[in-house]
Parts: sequence; structure tokens; C-alpha cells
Amino acid sequence: MVVVGGGYGGVTVAKYLKKENPNLDVVLIEERPFFMSCPMSNHFLAGLMELTPLCFSYNVLEVKHGIRVLNDKVLGVELDKKVVRTSSGYISYDYLVLSPGIDYDVEDYPFYRDSLVYNPPAFRPGSEHIYLKKLIEDFEGGDIVITVPSPPYRCPPAPYERAALLASMIKRNKIKAHIYFIDANERPLINSEGFLSAYHDLYKDVATYITSAHVRDIDVHKKLVKTSHGDFKYDLANIIPPMRANKLLQDAGLLKKGQKWVEVNPFTFETSVKNVFVIGDASQSYLPKSGYAAHSEGKLVAKIINARLKGKEVKEEYMQMICYAMVSDKEAIMTETAFRYDAVSKRFIPTHREDNQRKEGTAKRYEEWARGLWRDLFG
Amino acid sequence: MDRRDFIKTCGTVAVASMLDASIFSNLLASQQDGMLKTYKKALLVKEDGSPIKEGDIKPHNNYIFFYPFASTPCYLLNLDQEIKPVEIKLKDGLGYLWPGGVGSKKSIVAYSAICAHQWSYPTKDYSFINYYPPDKPSETTKKAGIIQCCAHLGVYDPKEGAKVLDGPPEVPLASIVLQEENGQFYAVGVLGKDQFDQFFDNYKADLRQQYGSTAKAKELVEKCIVMEVDKYVKSVIRC
Repeated sequence: MVVVGGGYGGVTVAKYLKKENPNLDVVLIEERPFFMSCPMSNHFLAGLMELTPLCFSYNVLEVKHGIRVLNDKVLGVELDKKVVRTSSGYISYDYLVLSPGIDYDVEDYPFYRDSLVYNPPAFRPGSEHIYLKKLIEDFEGGDIVITVPSPPYRCPPAPYERAALLASMIKRNKIKAHIYFIDANERPLINSEGFLSAYHDLYKDVATYITSAHVRDIDVHKKLVKTSHGDFKYDLANIIPPMRANKLLQDAGLLKKGQKWVEVNPFTFETSVKNVFVIGDASQSYLPKSGYAAHSEGKLVAKIINARLKGKEVKEEYMQMICYAMVSDKEAIMTETAFRYDAVSKRFIPTHREDNQRKEGTAKRYEEWARGLWRDLFG
Repeated sequence: MDRRDFIKTCGTVAVASMLDASIFSNLLASQQDGMLKTYKKALLVKEDGSPIKEGDIKPHNNYIFFYPFASTPCYLLNLDQEIKPVEIKLKDGLGYLWPGGVGSKKSIVAYSAICAHQWSYPTKDYSFINYYPPDKPSETTKKAGIIQCCAHLGVYDPKEGAKVLDGPPEVPLASIVLQEENGQFYAVGVLGKDQFDQFFDNYKADLRQQYGSTAKAKELVEKCIVMEVDKYVKSVIRC
């Protein structure tokens, strides 16, 4: 078993493969030396949480669960030869689970390229968050621009939460600043009512929410964002670019021309290549792109592979999603989404149960939600 | 038979002798699946130390006690109706017969309060997993008469051996085997897939802080003080 990518999906599938079948030889390949959680990272950016609780050592997986963790860069996947090419050699596999996450789509939107360095999006875990946090801490006042791309992108509520938490931080620290929150969408993609009422009730004096506005260009030297709704100068910016599946998947031949996400069987997450699975944000499925979804997919795929090894099939499972988002330092809102499959339209139909009333109790649940996931991944 | 197995078997017989004969045989069968673990027989007492009586367990109140270890929380519920035995089938093919309620109305049940999904449990500060009585349904799932964990919305049915009704848990809450003897209640074992290993593994630091050492947190109890959850927990988080 080879698993590529040590995020929520990759760690989960590796752990559950081994948990259900300790005799399996499971190799997890991850370039980063340690795991950092994107869920809850807005807490870190807004000064509500240290970085440490978000970070975990992959060593735990090796010591406690017997997973071989290879801290290495994957250079390519040769599906015909069933090998993964890394900087230290080839690894062959019988089953392959790819969970490499996203890339920023600078091929189709090249004007974002420079901005990635100057204005870290902080939608990939690690140094981007640390640098953005430094920029936020160094910010002494002026204009802040935050932009949101059209979906699909990683973690739909995250930009809206980030805008609310930065607005909250400005008020808390009495910084003379104004946020221009520029959204390519007509409204927040999830918990719209909860976010909009928070923006109106809590932040209308420090933030302006501009909808259906698309970024056209970014001049990092003049600190200017050009949009379909005019130009915005900034002193601090968090420009979130459009996203696509990690380029590794394109190089492996799993993306057809023009595709940005890998097509998978929605019930199994298997690609068109037998025993090769793509989970997490890189796949195109009925689930939103999030750590929680990747974790659920990881569990399912581990179950499917272990069943196949025993010559069995797994009963179809529809996953459920739970998303939380802070709207102030202490309060959060949430959504639970259940899915059913409509055999006629061959589509998954979501049913959202949103709790848009901001509450401190929901913020506590949010923290416990994340801690539960971390316990499951690294406990 | 080694000493451990002997003690285990004696424990099982002690439990089973208080139960209906068919339940006894089924419990023995469930033990073969490794689903019944007997521990020290522990008397359930009130906060003043006197044995708790049936009348003290008010219908639909959420009570907490710790069993079989000093740190492992359980919920005690009087569901105010006869709770019949239920056969529990697990996804891995194993199963057991849950013996139902105890007490004159067979309405009293107890379950481990460690969520079988990702091990949320009631601490002195917060409880995310709680019982929702029939007149106070969950705002989120609209379900009542359930045990629900608000972290990931796992929903269990206390009338049916804490079977999973909704959400991500794969297995029911483990149930605490209760025994009534001369009007007093005892906890005698744990039935189902307990989560104790994961609990002790995940909460080492928290348990050391609260109990002084892991060993103390793992001490088997001989008496269980029963109190209302609202008294034990500062902030009961409902959803």
C-alpha cells in the first residue's frame, strides 16, 4: 500500500488500513517534516491559538501504528508500471492512494503568481501560514484586502471566517484599518445568513463586503488589486487564488485536458485505473473540499481496500459533513450536510442543516470537533 | 484456564446469575466475542455516600458516575419505561445481546459516556456528549430521547443499547452492566466495544493533571458516586 500525501486524507487512510489489517505494508510518502492542520489555522492567524496545537509529528504513525513514513518528495507516478518515483528511488505498489491536495491555479490565472510570494494565501499548510501571521502581526493600520475565488476551492467557509476574525482582531487591538473583502461569489457559499449577519452586526464599521467581484490583476509592487468592481490599494493582503488538483496528478495522467480535479467513482473514490484512488481536495466528488471530508474519504477507502483484500465488497456509504466557522473571537456558526443519492439524476443531493445563530457553545464544539479529528489521526 | 480467565469467568457468572437465564446464556456467548468484560462490582452511591435507590434516579435526568476506572465516565438514565433486551449487531460481524433496563420498571440503563467516534467525554469544564430527554429535543438533529455528541453529531439510542442512530460513529456506546440487589444498584461490567484504550492513550496529559498520575486514573473503582451532569460539568454544551 502506498499513500501519497500526509494531510487529513492520507494520514487517515494509512492509519485505518493498518488498524484494520496490521499485516499490511503501508508506506506514507510526505514531503513536509510534520503535519500542520489547516482546519483551525484561522484561529492561529487571528491570534486566538498558538501554532503548536495544530502540529503533529508523523513519527507517531510509525511508532504506534507501524506505518512506514517516508519524508520525501514524490517526483512522479507511473501508473503502467505501478511505481511511485521519489527523490530517493522507486516504490512499487499494489494499491495506491493519492491524497496530494491542491495547487494554486497559476497556469490559468498567471497574474496570481507573484502574489503567492508577497501575499501568502495560507491555504496550504505550513510556511504560508507562518509568513501571513508575521505580516498580520507587523500590520499597524491601513487597508486590508481579502479576496475569495469562485468554487471549488479548499474549505468553503474558510475565507469568510478569516475575514470575520481579522475584522474582530482589528477591533480588539484598536487598529485603524479597513477591510475590503472582495468575493467572486454572490454571497458566502455556506452559512450565508450567519456570516452576513455577523458582518453587519459586528464589523460594518471596519469592513466592506463586495460581492460578485472578480480579481483581474495584482500589482504586488504598487500593492494594488484590480477587480471587476474597481481597484483596491492595500497595506496588507490575503489574496486567495483559484485552485486545482495537485500537478502531480496531471503528470500522472489522471487529469484529462482542461480538467482541474480528478474524476473518481463517487462511491469508492477509485480512479479510472483499478486500485488507484484519489481522495481529499484533489478529487471531484459530491463532498466539499475540506479536511473533514478527506478524513471521511480516507476511512472509506481503507475499508474498501481491506474488503477487497478479503474478496469482499463494501456496502455503499453516504458521508456526512460538518463545518464550523468562527464569526468573532468567541462565537461560531455551523452546518451539517447529509447527502442522498438520486438514482434518476445520478446525483448526490445535499441537505444542509445550518445553525446561523452565533454562539460561544458552537465555538467550543468547533474546537472539540478539531481535537476529535486530531485524536483520530494521531492518537 | 489461567488465573485471569478464571476470574473473568467467575465475574461473568456472578453477573449472569442475577439475570434471566436466556440473557445469561447470551451474555456468555457475547463474552466469547470478547464483548463482555467484568470488573470490580461497584455500588452506586449518592454524593452523601449512601446507596442510590430507584427513587433517587429521576426519569430523564442525566446522571454521571465513573466506572470501571476512576476516570472513565458513564451516564445513568431512568428512561421511565420498560427497556427490553436488544440484539446488537456490529459492522464487523460481531454482536451481543444487550440485556435492557434494570429496576422495578426495567427502565434504568447506563452507558459509557466516551463517544465511540472520536472519544469526546464529559469533563469538569465541558460536556459535548449528553442525554436529550423527550421534552428537550436537539436543536440540530431535532431528535429526543437520545444521547448525542455535539462535536460530530453522533446520535445514540439509549432505549436500544445505544445503537448508532445517526452520524459518524461506527459502533454503539459501550453499555455498563447494572445489577440490582436488595434495592441497591451495582455496576459489574462493560458490554460492547469499550473505548478505554483510546481514551487513556489520547488523554494522558489531561488525566495526569486531574488525577495526579495515569495509574490513579486507571484505578478500578469499588464505589461510584452518582451525580447530575449539570452539577459535575460547568458548561453542558447542547446542540
